[in-house]
Amino acid sequence: MMLDGLNKAFESKARLGIMSVLMVNESVDFSSLKQLIGLTDGNLASHTRALEEMGYISAEKKFVGRKPNTSYTVTQAGSQAFKAHLQALEDLLKSVPNK
Amino acid sequence: MENKEALSTLNEIKEMMEKSSRFQSISGWSIVVVGLLASVVSAAAWLLLLPHADMAWLPACCSGLLINSPWRSSIAILVALLLLVVSFSTVAALSLGKMKRQKGAVRFDPSLRRCLIHFCVPMLAGGLLCLAMLQQGHYGLTSTFMLVFYGLALINCSHYTHSSIAALGYVQLVLGVVDCFVVSHAILFWWLGFGLMHVVYGFYFIAKYERQKGL
Repeated sequence: MMLDGLNKAFESKARLGIMSVLMVNESVDFSSLKQLIGLTDGNLASHTRALEEMGYISAEKKFVGRKPNTSYTVTQAGSQAFKAHLQALEDLLKSVPNK
Repeated sequence: MENKEALSTLNEIKEMMEKSSRFQSISGWSIVVVGLLASVVSAAAWLLLLPHADMAWLPACCSGLLINSPWRSSIAILVALLLLVVSFSTVAALSLGKMKRQKGAVRFDPSLRRCLIHFCVPMLAGGLLCLAMLQQGHYGLTSTFMLVFYGLALINCSHYTHSSIAALGYVQLVLGVVDCFVVSHAILFWWLGFGLMHVVYGFYFIAKYERQKGL
């Protein structure tokens, strides 16, 4: 059974992880995100780029000393889309009887 | 998508939200140690500072402890500050060790920073208030202020670490408030809060969060 409202953008575990972390934190830098979710640099970068292009998160590049440091924030659109996705998951749980 | 899959996805999301926003490396044993240290100090204070016992066994050089001298109160304040520093260092050292075992490295991450700030702000305000009161000779409510502000600090930081720490905070708060209505049992209340409650909560903490996970 498939319900409307499940967002294809959040299908992968990595993206769910990124969104979950950003929903409860004001902003999170790349290395913290990498450590929390347990992805390689390249992998995380491609997922954050994809979410950024969809307008769900925004990135801010800064320099800490000489090291570049990117920190991510969830956008309003991203927050709404993620909440809708969570709601759809919960509806799915309610609609299918437990066996 | 199956029912089970949706459930496990939701659980993963919840877990990730908690992991990233709450500091989960507080060491249970360090809480027990703090309770034991506080018990030793309150026993010493009860023996030495209260004018109820026969102190003839004290060496002559320490006889100043028997009267309400400035010397006696500065020793008490010094011991209290020392206890605070030793307790805080114990929790910090054992918790950072636990963090290293959990995550492989010690990182000053946002969850740790928020937890620390929310704990320290009420503690600092309460601590300065206590020092000011002592300096002006208002001794009576020191234990109340310590318990109340420590309780508020715990409740405040419980949003950024294991939420059950709030329960310890509420107990301290209640003890502090009761203490201010009861005259001359300050050391008893202080021991109940800082000594006994830490030991009890420490063992509860170990059983709940550490035992199964082998930490």
